[in-house]
Amino acid sequence: MEGKGKGRSYLLSLEGIRELFEALKDGYIVLAPKLRDGLIALSEVQSLEELPLGYRNIEAPGFCVIEKVEGYFTYTHPYNSFKSFLHPTELPLIRVRKEREDLNFQTLVPEEKAMCLFDIRACDLSALKVLDTVFLYKNPHPDPYYASLREGLFVLAVNCSYATSTCFCTTMETGPEVKEGYDLLITELSEGFLTEVGSEKGKRIIEKVKDKREAEGKHFEEKRKILEKTELTMKRAFQTEGLTKRLYERMDAKYWEHIEKRCVACTSCTQACPTCFCFDIIERNNLELEESLRVRVWDSCFSPSFATVHRFNLRQSVHSRYRQWLMHKFAYWVGQFDCFGCVGCGRCITWCPVGIDIREEVRRIAYA
Amino acid sequence: MPTLENPYLLKAGRVEKVIKECDGVYTFHVRTQEPAYPGQYNMLYAFGVGEAPITIASMEEGYIVHTVRAVGDVTRHIDQLREGDYLYWRGPYGNRWEIERAYNKTLLIISGGLGLAATRWVFEEALNKPIKRLVHLYGSKDYDSLLYRYLYENWSSKVEFYITLGKPDPRWKGRVGLITEILKDLELDKDTVVFACGPDPMVKACVKILEEKGLLLENLYASLERHMKCSVGTCGHCMIGPYFVCKDGPIFRYDLIREYFERKEV
Ligand SMILES: Cc1cc2nc3c(=O)[nH]c(=O)nc-3n(C[C@H](O)[C@H](O)[C@H](O)COP(=O)(O)OP(=O)(O)OC[C@H]3O[C@@H](n4cnc5c(N)ncnc54)[C@H](O)[C@@H]3O)c2cc1C
Ligand code: SF4
Ligand code: SF4
Ligand code: FES
Repeated sequence: MEGKGKGRSYLLSLEGIRELFEALKDGYIVLAPKLRDGLIALSEVQSLEELPLGYRNIEAPGFCVIEKVEGYFTYTHPYNSFKSFLHPTELPLIRVRKEREDLNFQTLVPEEKAMCLFDIRACDLSALKVLDTVFLYKNPHPDPYYASLREGLFVLAVNCSYATSTCFCTTMETGPEVKEGYDLLITELSEGFLTEVGSEKGKRIIEKVKDKREAEGKHFEEKRKILEKTELTMKRAFQTEGLTKRLYERMDAKYWEHIEKRCVACTSCTQACPTCFCFDIIERNNLELEESLRVRVWDSCFSPSFATVHRFNLRQSVHSRYRQWLMHKFAYWVGQFDCFGCVGCGRCITWCPVGIDIREEVRRIAYA
Repeated sequence: MPTLENPYLLKAGRVEKVIKECDGVYTFHVRTQEPAYPGQYNMLYAFGVGEAPITIASMEEGYIVHTVRAVGDVTRHIDQLREGDYLYWRGPYGNRWEIERAYNKTLLIISGGLGLAATRWVFEEALNKPIKRLVHLYGSKDYDSLLYRYLYENWSSKVEFYITLGKPDPRWKGRVGLITEILKDLELDKDTVVFACGPDPMVKACVKILEEKGLLLENLYASLERHMKCSVGTCGHCMIGPYFVCKDGPIFRYDLIREYFERKEV
């Protein structure tokens, strides 16, 4: 059966999925969701059994628990995202060595080890596209570090049959259906796993899987129903059409100041967010002061040093930093990169210690 | 993969000349063939310490000029460089002063403090361009902070170059007071082009006066200073509204950034 004209589509059994996993492990470092410390964390995994198959994450503002349910790909996305791997929390950029009176500079482009994202959801796949735009495509100096980690990435996407209460991909129009950017796409059906091929790379891998049969029309019909059902569980959080303009008009709204009473500027939201890219560059010196590493580390617009010029932080108030973050996501980003900086994954809502819900803030600021 | 150019790699150049401008401010002439334009800046590097954005104050056959005030970690180290040492940097970055906008018009340059480093090159260039009238106002905190004293005579002999000091000084016979006071008294054509660089409050105060004089803000350009790290539009630090100062600036047409620049904490 042809799925979207990109290639053949198959129905795999669980055994077929295991074969697929092994085939990928053969050529890639496989990154997949895994149960870790009571959370679902994107990690390097060695076997399919390590995936949290049959577990479900239940999330709400400032809240997350895991429970056991029927099925396999029953959860949504991991609490951390691919960002930790393509734009690592700490990445050495340059090694500087003192050689007599001269300095010698060495580019530390990460070794090329192709990674496979085994099980990425629609929202995160959109976030990957956003980060690609920021680091590579709409950047006059495309980033060689990001590029080398990104290159050769194998994308195995999974359609969501469940959404947690913090998910709002329907609002941002990034999900729940995966539509592009994948090598292989899996949808869990009642009688197996519908597997669609999205690229030559995907085709070469699926050819190695023996336990498969051709998908039929009814399988696509079931996929459609599942996605419709998932979509129905997510109410539209706010209108995105015209949102940017409304936000620009409300930059002086009194409402921003209310956030000061709640936000503790902990930076959690920016760390959890798969599209937040801001970083600092720090120096790490050896004791003899002969060698220094210039290291890229994550930074956040919530931190007090972020906009400091001449010992003066231009964004003194916490609410001005919150405004910077929200305006960037939904207004500035559009002008800078032709897309929103938010894909509706809901991580910032779940991981905000005081339960600030970005959907709620957008509604109040832009539409109240 | 590494076919992409690494934007973080540094270059080296020999320091040919060091001029002490005043306490804690040095001007360095550094050997390089790298082309640049007035208004652009480099990221200067101090080993094991970090980088700081520094304007290209001037450029002559075979060397660049940087004027650095020791205010913090990086600049304190750079100010220790002496003739024969190597300076390391990456750049040039940013846009340039669009001097051709001022052809056949009046060009007013407003420099506050170290902002003179950012306007010096374009001012020198303007001396040889078809500019109808060239006026340069320079405000310095006090006598001891004056930059480029050795250039004043030449400048004053050619165009209207006014200096005002924030504080009186027995060694100073010229004007004392805020730059805005001279600006108020200045007769200017309505279509005067203005290039300004100085502390944010100075720029804001000057804009008010220029507006009162009926000048068009679309002819006003200001060079902004924001926290910079990457200088290539990827780290997010230098944002002002939807703009990245590092790559969309540092020079902005005022009417385009006004609403972000004048609003608190953007
Ligand atoms: C486009 C541009 C051109 C500049 N041109 C010159 C110049 O020609 N000569 C000159 O002496 N200075 C110039 N500056 C200012 C200079 O970059 C800052 O003073 C810089 O902080 C000095 O770095 P530092 O490590 O020595 O100081 P820091 O250790 O960073 O400390 C200096 C103080 O400035 C704050 N700061 C940190 N980063 C910046 C930053 N990027 N810009 C401003 N303040 C910052 C710090 O919080 C601190 O309070 C320019 C800045 C910009 C953005
Ligand atoms: S802003 Fe929040 S919901 Fe949007 S992409 Fe970032 S973490 Fe997800
Ligand atoms: S919004 Fe929440 S997560 Fe983000 S900085 Fe404020 S308190 Fe922290
Ligand atoms: S300095 Fe990094 S984005 Fe401008």
